[in-house]
Amino acid sequence: MSEDKFDAIIVGAGIAGATAALLLAREGLSVVVVERGNYAGAKNMTGGRLYAHSLEAVIPGFAEAAPVERRVTQERISLMTETGCFTASFLNGRPGAPDRDSYVVLRGAFDRWLMEQAEAAGAMLVSGVLVDDLLTRDGRVCGVIAGEDKMPAEVVILADGANSQLLERAGLRAEPVGPRQMAVGVKEVIEFDDKVVEDRFNLLPGEGLAWLFAGLPSGGKVGGGFLYTNKASVSVGLVATTAEFMKSERTIHELLERFKAHPAIEPLLKGGKLAEYSGHMVAEGGYDMIPRLYNDGVVVIGEAAHLVINLGYTVRGMDLAAGSAQAAAKAVIAAKQAGDFSARSLAAYKTFLDDSFVIKDMKHYRKFPHFMENSRLFNEYPEMLEKICAGIFTVDGRAPASMLSKLMEPMKEVGLLNLMKDGLKGARSL
Amino acid sequence: MAKIVACYKWVIDETDIRVKDDLSIDVSRAQRKLSDYDRNTIEAAVRAAKEAGAQAVGLTFGTDKIKPSLKEALSRGLTEVYWVASDKAESADGKITANILAAAIRTIKDVSVVLCTDGSSDSFARQTAPRIAAILGWPVVTGVRQLEIAGDAATVTQARENSWETLRAPLPAVFAVLPEINPAPIPGLMAIVSAAKKPNTELKAEDLGASFETNVRTAGAKGYAMDRKNIMFTEGAMADRVRELALALRKEGVL
Ligand SMILES: Cc1cc2nc3c(=O)[nH]c(=O)nc-3n(C[C@H](O)[C@H](O)[C@H](O)COP(=O)(O)OP(=O)(O)OC[C@H]3O[C@@H](n4cnc5c(N)ncnc54)[C@H](O)[C@@H]3O)c2cc1C
Repeated sequence: MSEDKFDAIIVGAGIAGATAALLLAREGLSVVVVERGNYAGAKNMTGGRLYAHSLEAVIPGFAEAAPVERRVTQERISLMTETGCFTASFLNGRPGAPDRDSYVVLRGAFDRWLMEQAEAAGAMLVSGVLVDDLLTRDGRVCGVIAGEDKMPAEVVILADGANSQLLERAGLRAEPVGPRQMAVGVKEVIEFDDKVVEDRFNLLPGEGLAWLFAGLPSGGKVGGGFLYTNKASVSVGLVATTAEFMKSERTIHELLERFKAHPAIEPLLKGGKLAEYSGHMVAEGGYDMIPRLYNDGVVVIGEAAHLVINLGYTVRGMDLAAGSAQAAAKAVIAAKQAGDFSARSLAAYKTFLDDSFVIKDMKHYRKFPHFMENSRLFNEYPEMLEKICAGIFTVDGRAPASMLSKLMEPMKEVGLLNLMKDGLKGARSL
Repeated sequence: MAKIVACYKWVIDETDIRVKDDLSIDVSRAQRKLSDYDRNTIEAAVRAAKEAGAQAVGLTFGTDKIKPSLKEALSRGLTEVYWVASDKAESADGKITANILAAAIRTIKDVSVVLCTDGSSDSFARQTAPRIAAILGWPVVTGVRQLEIAGDAATVTQARENSWETLRAPLPAVFAVLPEINPAPIPGLMAIVSAAKKPNTELKAEDLGASFETNVRTAGAKGYAMDRKNIMFTEGAMADRVRELALALRKEGVL
């Protein structure tokens, strides 16, 4: 390495960037991570649920040391209407197993910890600096530009998250993505005094709840609400597709307020203090939106590469971010050994990624974005369930209808054929 | 080469401080930062050093949590940072802090100017500069908004109630500067990267032989909750409500 030339510059200290930095530093590569936030995690948000398996492969037993909030042991899924909420609930009482577990995390603390692991391994973090552009020579990426400064490197790893501004500069995507391919998420962290969370959500110490909602939260449009329990707070928010959203008569903030005021949610948040409000983009498009992943002197990982599985009611990106970082690190380490950072050499990244759970899972859910565009999922079905339940559980002194008609009437309103079609399609695309 | 020492403090980020319902103060999740105005002071030292052909160095006293401050201070253009870490720093008052800093300044060679900020963003006690000067027996000027070093004297402008006063002090001297002395630019990529290669020197509190004695003890710390009047004007036309609001504000002596 010459005096000022790093082996790798990583743009973004999210899960993807920090994981890649850790792996490269461990192998003795000189790495600098450039992060626009004042610290790693400062600008990052997530719903909350980190599936542990992929980070577990990098730092075995990480959850023992890392600032995770709670291990998820309870699942709830709800279909929500204005006046009702149909919930399926599951308690997983099996003992924890690191590769199967998932944790609720808050990024401010978690990303910072992860980046500290990378720094301890020898990576350098430069925070509070925005990468404006890429340094290129003869069409080959050879560093980054930040303000007045130009900094060269053998390879640049783009880990700059959803809505990456640098993909096009790297020649990895021809044109910017449209609103159809992006969703927007908002979240509030609401704090309670110690123990309130455990009492209110019926949790054992250290154990947590992941709760997803379809229907009302996203205003009957593609999207969904979520509620995750942290140590002494609750993360509550929703995701909605930007394209849908531009047509909607409500702002996303109004949607969140309405969701929080729902009779199923309001009592759970009572007395809490708002500690944090955040908004963030989510890449939406699925497998077909993945851009070109490498070029001369550059690779792209994590959500910048649209590696996120957005099922509307749930978003999964963090484990894919860590997974893609592993594939890229492997390729970059090999490139360093060969002294060749050309596209031909870095193509190994795509091979490793294709072989990993990342692309396998993305392919598996490939059709899902289209299935999600079906508005019945967010309107008719929640209403149908509300009517069925209201029918079953209401006694008003009038002549009772048969159980069958209590079930069939609301289903007929949606259309039996539709129900069957959607059921089949949904089952296939999942 | 003569040295200009910028003293700085690594403080708790006040936006992270939580006051609980029982008014106890929770700093367990608070991040630390470079005291806001110390950023201007460091820049003042860097500028003055450039003008005077001197070397700008940093000096800080804190707990073992101050390590991350070194990189930040160095990325702001200082060539070296001296630091004293002690777990007693958390409860140290102006007297102890000045004792430690003055003792540290004695061990640093060729110090011509010491710059402190008028007050830190946490306690704002405004004691450090005058106390250091008293211990070292050097002249001191506080409230400095302009600084010029020429030869063995400095000319400074001091902000007074309604006026500015220009003063000359022989060096070595201590100055407490105001944030408006100059802006504090955000360090860029290269400045931060090169900071990692700059030296820092730990000075052990024991070796400095400075006293940790003080007569001031912290008896307790409590949050302050504002009692709100909770008066709401919800009835009637908007214009009337605004009139009522203005009336009420006048009655309270706010307007
Ligand atoms: C509302 C919402 C809920 C979600 N819920 C979940 C969930 O429950 N589980 C899950 O697994 N995933 C979830 N996701 C997705 C997940 O958060 C992301 O996929 C994941 O954070 C991607 O990680 P990353 O490291 O690729 O990018 P990010 O975490 O976005 O990190 C990118 C980093 O790059 C920095 N950066 C960007 N541009 C620049 C630049 N030009 N210069 C310097 N720095 C730059 C940013 O500041 C940031 O730190 C959710 C997302 C949202 C928005």
